[in-house]
Amino acid sequence: MITGFLLIALLIVVYRRTVSSYPPAAQGLAVLHRGEACFIESAAEVMFPGGAGLSVAGVDARLPHYIDRHLSALPRLKRIQIRALFAVFEHLTLIFPGDEPGGRRRFSKLSAASRVSVLERLEKHSNLLVRLLFMALRAVLVLGYLGHPANLHDLGVAPFEIELGVSDAELLFPRIGGLVSSIGFELSDRTDPQQLGPLDANGPRHRAYARSSRDSR
Amino acid sequence: MTQDWLEAARERVRVFAQYDRAFDERTDVVVVGSGPCGAVSAYELAAAGHDVILLEEGPPFTVRDFELDGNLSMTRTMREGGLRMTRGTMMPTMQAIALGGGSLVNSAICVRPPDAVFDRWATGFDLERTDRAQLDPHFDAISKFLSIAPTPDAVQGRRNLLFRDACDAMGVSSEPIERNVKGCRGSGECFTGCRSRAKQSMDVSYIPAALRAGARVFTSVQVQQIRHSGRRVTGVSGQVVAPFSGGSGRGRSHRFRIEAKAVVLAAGCTATPILLKHSDNLANASGQVGENLQFHPGAAIAGVFSEAVDPQFGATQGYQSLAFLDEGFKLETLWAPPSLLAVRIPGFGLELKAHLAELSHVAIWDAFASCNRSYGTVRARRGTMDPRIHWTFHPEDVSILVRALWVLAELFFAAGARKILPGVHGLAPEMHSLDEARPLQRERVRASDLVCGGNHTFSSTRMHGDPRHGVVGEDGRCHDLDNLYIADTGIMPRSPAVNPMLTCMALAHRLAPHVAEQL
Repeated sequence: MITGFLLIALLIVVYRRTVSSYPPAAQGLAVLHRGEACFIESAAEVMFPGGAGLSVAGVDARLPHYIDRHLSALPRLKRIQIRALFAVFEHLTLIFPGDEPGGRRRFSKLSAASRVSVLERLEKHSNLLVRLLFMALRAVLVLGYLGHPANLHDLGVAPFEIELGVSDAELLFPRIGGLVSSIGFELSDRTDPQQLGPLDANGPRHRAYARSSRDSR
Repeated sequence: MTQDWLEAARERVRVFAQYDRAFDERTDVVVVGSGPCGAVSAYELAAAGHDVILLEEGPPFTVRDFELDGNLSMTRTMREGGLRMTRGTMMPTMQAIALGGGSLVNSAICVRPPDAVFDRWATGFDLERTDRAQLDPHFDAISKFLSIAPTPDAVQGRRNLLFRDACDAMGVSSEPIERNVKGCRGSGECFTGCRSRAKQSMDVSYIPAALRAGARVFTSVQVQQIRHSGRRVTGVSGQVVAPFSGGSGRGRSHRFRIEAKAVVLAAGCTATPILLKHSDNLANASGQVGENLQFHPGAAIAGVFSEAVDPQFGATQGYQSLAFLDEGFKLETLWAPPSLLAVRIPGFGLELKAHLAELSHVAIWDAFASCNRSYGTVRARRGTMDPRIHWTFHPEDVSILVRALWVLAELFFAAGARKILPGVHGLAPEMHSLDEARPLQRERVRASDLVCGGNHTFSSTRMHGDPRHGVVGEDGRCHDLDNLYIADTGIMPRSPAVNPMLTCMALAHRLAPHVAEQL
């Protein structure tokens, strides 16, 4: 009887901590559930605060969408590992609590200042495994943050706008998923990059990056 | 090239969308893996008039399939989504899964190892015909075919030329990197696929040539077994796999079987041993399959300059210094998709954003070490063709890499860098002078303190004149079998000290006539 009661109480606690009271997830996520999306946004908010020369702050960089796309493309095992990383961080506050009353709440429920203090401790921790966990999370978030075209454009490191080449590969192979019969190029389409010369270092950047940068202002 | 040729060649290509049933084929030679070594082998054998089938697990990428985003590109072109890690000393390592293999997403570096490398190979591994003089004709043939040439100044960009100037200032020899590129425009995107198609990756060079010579090219097929009887192999079998399925069994569909008079394995240093192990531990009387694994672990320093460097422009890796090969390391310039580079920038919050904001003023130079004391293994994992890679970074090799970082620090400050980001745990994240960088000389740095990448893999099926100690002989044939050959970097007896692509292509070029003799 007592065991059953304790078990039910435990399940309620686990449910409240892991499932309930997350806000609804943004539309268009194929892999991430709302708790993961909420965690990513809360981590991105303190990892990439507004200001410091980049027009898009972490909370506006659509990280859940980028990471969702990344996860969709990964093999299953790797996808599980990254999602486990999010889960570990969300609840690592049980071991590394935030600097506030109730600091053992899940990471995404902590105040921004508390989240910063948790991340600071993890980043500088003497244990390699803890540091690796932090580095892995930061890597996933940085990839997502700089996956936003406006950020790369603002940093001056967006890809160049260039003419796409047509080589023997384009003549012989279809686009991924297509049939050989769908190849649209003929011999006369072949290009020779030697005729084009070097790019201008200050030349135009890829239009998708330039457009995104304008739109984000 | 005529339209007739093009139509005929297209008919010899198979892609994922075409497979609607199990299939059997018969050929003279089946080549497993379409990276640099497999592509050269397939072309040379087809050009000699033999019937050849070239198999590739990944899909072909056309220029419109390239992802500009570095991370998403890697996810599509690398095994395990680009997230493969070694055990032991934990380190990311990448192996491509695409038609053309690593050549599609590498920076096209082609370097001939110095004589000393071959001297060490000869004396340590009973090799009599693998010296520089005897390999030079093969190097020459590859160089001519791929138009290998030094990177011209016009596409070096400032970050590469700063390295040259720094080396000049310090009296260190340096040279523009020779690459398999025709008409580089300096877009700095070798790692995500060359959109202008200047890079002569295998899918635009040797593989079309092989098709022209009559070879057949089957993509999206995973070889899972080498069929054999006694001392002879009889072919290969496996399954069709969907692009981006991870190559580990998901997305599998139809089975295939190819009978062949000879099999050339060029699946790569981490895949070939797994294939042999899955095939009843084939070719392993020596016990050396999957042993002796070596890497070129690399580490980089970012230098921040007062003036803009515009690092996106310029050859991805345009300059190098071979001056320290005797000490066990090589120096290079480096650019990669910014999101991938930024992963190693320290800090978070405003500090991280401030570092990111300096990216246009950053040059990145890297070093890799030969690591002849650090060994590992490649083992099969249950239920998958993916390997379990274990490797341990020997402390003396760590010291060599740290010494290389110190030289890079000297070069950066000689070039006028305002500060450097050494990326070594336990040391200051930013160093503003050579004096501040001295801890790189003084402090004991452990492997776990470095942010390393596992470049280049070798020796997992090493060549050795004595069948008791190696998997293949000098002609690339497995000692235990009459008609099974290996032609990837796994056969190198140890590190070539420089980037391995050209050397493994030269070895594949040398191997082809020996295969032909067996037919």
